[in-house]
Amino acid sequence: MSNLSQAEDHEVCLVDDDPSVLKSMHYLLASEGLKVRTFDKAEDFLTYASAHHVPVVVTDIWMDKVTGLEVLARLCAISPKTRVIVITAREDLAARATAMAIGPVAYFMKPFDDEKFIAAVRDALNRGEK
Amino acid sequence: MKAPTKKGQSQSEEQLSLLQTITMEVAVADDLDSALEIVLREVCEKTGWVLGQAWVPNPDTDVLDFVAGWYCGDGELKPFRALSEESHFKPGLGLPGRVWKSEQPAWLEDVTNAPNFPRSAAARTAGLKTGVGIPILSRGKVIAVLEFFMRESREQSERLVNVITAVAGQLDLLKRATRAEAAAREEQFRTLANSISQLAWMADREGYIFWYNDRWYDYTGTTLEEMQGWGWQKVHHPDEVGRVVERIRVAFATGEPWEDTFPLRSKSGEYRWFLSRALPIKDTEGQVVRWFGTNTDITEQRELEQALRENRDQLEQKVTRRTTELSRTNEILRSILSNMGDAVVVADKDNNFLVFNPAAERMFGKGALQMPSTEWSHRYGLYLADKTTPFPHDQLPLLRSIRGEDVDNVEMFVRHEKAPHGLWTEITGRPLRGANGDVLGGVVVCRDITELKEEEFFRAGQSRVLEMIAADAPLADVLTSLVLLMEGQAEGLRCSILLLNRDGKHVRHGAAPNLPDAYVKAVNGAPIGPRNGSCGTAMYRRRPVVVTDVMRDPLWTDYRELALICGLCACWSTPILSAQGDVLGSFAMYREEKRGPRPEETRLTDIATHIAGIAIERQRQQEILREREARINLAAESADLAFWILYPEQNTAWMSERGRRIYGFDSNLPLTCDLILSRVHPDERPDVKATYDRSCALSGTFESEHRLLLPYGKTRWVIMRGRCLKDDEGNLLETIGVTLDVSAQKQADLQLQHQRDEMAHRNRVSLMGEMTASFAHELNQPLTAIANSASAARRFLERGNIDPTLLKELLQDMIADSQRAGEVIRGIRSLVRKEAGVRTILDLNAVITDTVRLVSSDVLSRESVVTTELDPQLPQVNATLVQIQQVLLNLIMNALDAMEGLPPAERRIIISTRSDKGDVAEVRVRDFGTGLPKEKPDKVFDHFFSTKQKGMGMGLAIVRSIIESHGGTIVGENTPDRGARMIVRLPAVRGQTQTVAAA
Repeated sequence: MSNLSQAEDHEVCLVDDDPSVLKSMHYLLASEGLKVRTFDKAEDFLTYASAHHVPVVVTDIWMDKVTGLEVLARLCAISPKTRVIVITAREDLAARATAMAIGPVAYFMKPFDDEKFIAAVRDALNRGEK
Repeated sequence: MKAPTKKGQSQSEEQLSLLQTITMEVAVADDLDSALEIVLREVCEKTGWVLGQAWVPNPDTDVLDFVAGWYCGDGELKPFRALSEESHFKPGLGLPGRVWKSEQPAWLEDVTNAPNFPRSAAARTAGLKTGVGIPILSRGKVIAVLEFFMRESREQSERLVNVITAVAGQLDLLKRATRAEAAAREEQFRTLANSISQLAWMADREGYIFWYNDRWYDYTGTTLEEMQGWGWQKVHHPDEVGRVVERIRVAFATGEPWEDTFPLRSKSGEYRWFLSRALPIKDTEGQVVRWFGTNTDITEQRELEQALRENRDQLEQKVTRRTTELSRTNEILRSILSNMGDAVVVADKDNNFLVFNPAAERMFGKGALQMPSTEWSHRYGLYLADKTTPFPHDQLPLLRSIRGEDVDNVEMFVRHEKAPHGLWTEITGRPLRGANGDVLGGVVVCRDITELKEEEFFRAGQSRVLEMIAADAPLADVLTSLVLLMEGQAEGLRCSILLLNRDGKHVRHGAAPNLPDAYVKAVNGAPIGPRNGSCGTAMYRRRPVVVTDVMRDPLWTDYRELALICGLCACWSTPILSAQGDVLGSFAMYREEKRGPRPEETRLTDIATHIAGIAIERQRQQEILREREARINLAAESADLAFWILYPEQNTAWMSERGRRIYGFDSNLPLTCDLILSRVHPDERPDVKATYDRSCALSGTFESEHRLLLPYGKTRWVIMRGRCLKDDEGNLLETIGVTLDVSAQKQADLQLQHQRDEMAHRNRVSLMGEMTASFAHELNQPLTAIANSASAARRFLERGNIDPTLLKELLQDMIADSQRAGEVIRGIRSLVRKEAGVRTILDLNAVITDTVRLVSSDVLSRESVVTTELDPQLPQVNATLVQIQQVLLNLIMNALDAMEGLPPAERRIIISTRSDKGDVAEVRVRDFGTGLPKEKPDKVFDHFFSTKQKGMGMGLAIVRSIIESHGGTIVGENTPDRGARMIVRLPAVRGQTQTVAAA
């Protein structure tokens, strides 16, 4: 962890295997003037997170190969300070419970309210600054 | 002196006689007009003119007026005469005017073409040709003009003109009757008499000849002095003169005309024969004033007659000789005719019989009788072939021959008291012709063909019986006809046929039309055996039994009384055998006299048993066939089958009763191939016809499932199976087959299909229920993207720093995501729709990829993995997309369920495809779960079989029905290591390249 490069404090990482969802979230956050980094594969993000400071990540749960739950679990190890916002298109109480146990700052069912989502992202960023 | 020719002689004679007549008649005429009429008539009648007319000058007008006419009575002459009556001729004009003016006779050879003949047109119409005009002069003055016409063209005859002129001169006598004139007239007459060729003379009333013409003196070389009075006797032959004198004296005494023939000596001393005639000329009181005679030389005529007489004598001798020869020939001929077997009848032109030989007398029952030919048929008993219609008179061969016809082989039936049964004769006739070819009569030769004819009838009778057999007439009728035929062949013969029962031990009545009922009843049902009458024994021994006296023969012990009652004495029976040698029955002959069969009767028996054998055997075969048909019909009835046979060549058909009901045909309706085809539903008829034709061409079998459209619109589902039969040359003979009514089954199938569809639908709905999470996920993704993009766009706008390109991109994304959401909804909807949709050409690889994506969310949530190993060479299939998706979803969900108890890392599903020789597309779904029941892996496909707590047990049953409805198969098996494998095989589409991508 000594050689972690310093990412910008308010950069938001987005992880979703659905390209159109990923792209639309990117623009949504960009419209609020936020810096956004997108990943369509969870593995790519985890690689990135292990080398960079990632203050906030927004991740989908149900993705091929590596699920959002794994991302959550792995982040606890490689970047414990990263604040995680989970989004999912599928109502799954078990997954929600698991995710909440690991500890994301927010949990959204797709499709979600844009104001609340942005507020959640900003809130997560601000928490890191404090 | 050269004797005049006969013709000239007779003409002269006539003219002379004319002169005599006219002279006498004119002498008694009252006036000129009536005298003219006499002259016209006499001249015309005696010298061959058809028309004579007289003209007299009219002193007042100086023209010729018509005063009298005579014509032969021919109507065609009337117009000419009428024209003449109205005509008047000036001197020099026309024929009368010319003669009047010239005072000379005028001769016109062709009045129709004469220059000075104004009546030529009328003459042409009347057919007149020659005309002559003669003046009548009195004291150098024309007192009348006569004209005569004839139809022939005739050269001018001076003599004729002279005669007429001389005759006309007689009229002058009348007009100016004075002594001097009379003298002149006599002189005229003498001149005329000298002009003729005969010797002529005149005598006073006592017969004193006072004048001879020059011819007399020329011939006799005598003088008047020697000849006058009775001096003429000197030139007569001494042998004849007495008779001549005697006869002529009688004539002179009585005043009767005289005629005689005698020789006269010429001046050279030779005698020539003359015909002499003398006529008395009488005055008005009828007193003979004078005799006028002529002698005509007939020597040559007599010589000719003599020669003729001699000729005739010779001829008569010849005739006598020939007659003798002929009578000898006749004798031979008569002998032949008497002894020949054929009847010969000859008749002359008047239908009188000339020959009627003994054979003819035998054939026709009597000899030649004189009677009109119209009675021949009746009297000789001649009939047409029907034996009842009398032979038509005008068609009788003899009469036809007499008419000149050749008659060949006319058959006639003859019946009379001496031949009460009649006989048949074949007649040939020819006309009898004289040397010049004229028909003199006719001859007929009649051959007795009774035996031939009877044989012919017998054969025809046999043919009739055989025809009855061929036409399947009732056996009893056939056998009765056969017995009657046999009985008709011999007098006093009675026959019977008995049939052997199938038990081979008892007989039953076959036919015995002329045996008493009592006998028939007694025999019917009797057993056969070694001593059972003629028939029972013959059938038992299988060989003929001849009983010549039933009263004594031990075989008849049990039947003697019966025979006595029936008047039977002899009975010969022969067994009737089948082609295989089985006894079918017996044929028996009965006689009322004690004797055995004659060769002719044995021959009849052979024929009768042969024909009876055919009839009985055929009837047995018919019975067998009928029984077989009845059995077939019974089978058809119970199996709901129509049996049918089509005869395409004749366009006829047969169909079993049940078949007729299936097809809606009346029992009696004659069927045709077309009629049967017309019952096929119009929508399917072309296909059925094509299938049938194809099969016929290949001589194969065919099967077709189709609907029938019956009267009143009812439809039936049937399966028609048939086979085409051909002869050795490949011609289609018939098509036989069955039609199975599958309407009920079809109805059940349709219901089952409906239920199956319902189940499949429920299965899909149920699957949907299980997959709602997946569907929600699938739908929420694009919705999220849309919402995000929209929100981003709004925010950029609110900030006022939006790049239009960015905005456009956002909107574009929203549209694309909306479409994606729509696709998801459509996919779901198609799965829950009740109808599964239509079959299309599908690429199973694409369908698998899409389906896996659809369940990916569920797969993830169940912490499972689905991997695919797809064969790029997989052939396409013809299938319903939704149903294939349904199959895949069921298999995937089952696999997921089977692996629930496993650690997530082991939860794997492998879906693979491969092509099997290009004929089959195979899909395998393999899991690593609990596997199938060990004993019966296929039990999982049964209805209501489930290994799961919540399962209905319908999924795999539906899967199988879907696959089978696509003509495919599905099997389940346990894999050696762990888990189960489902293998789906679907038939590949050949030659299809079009791919319909999965939705």
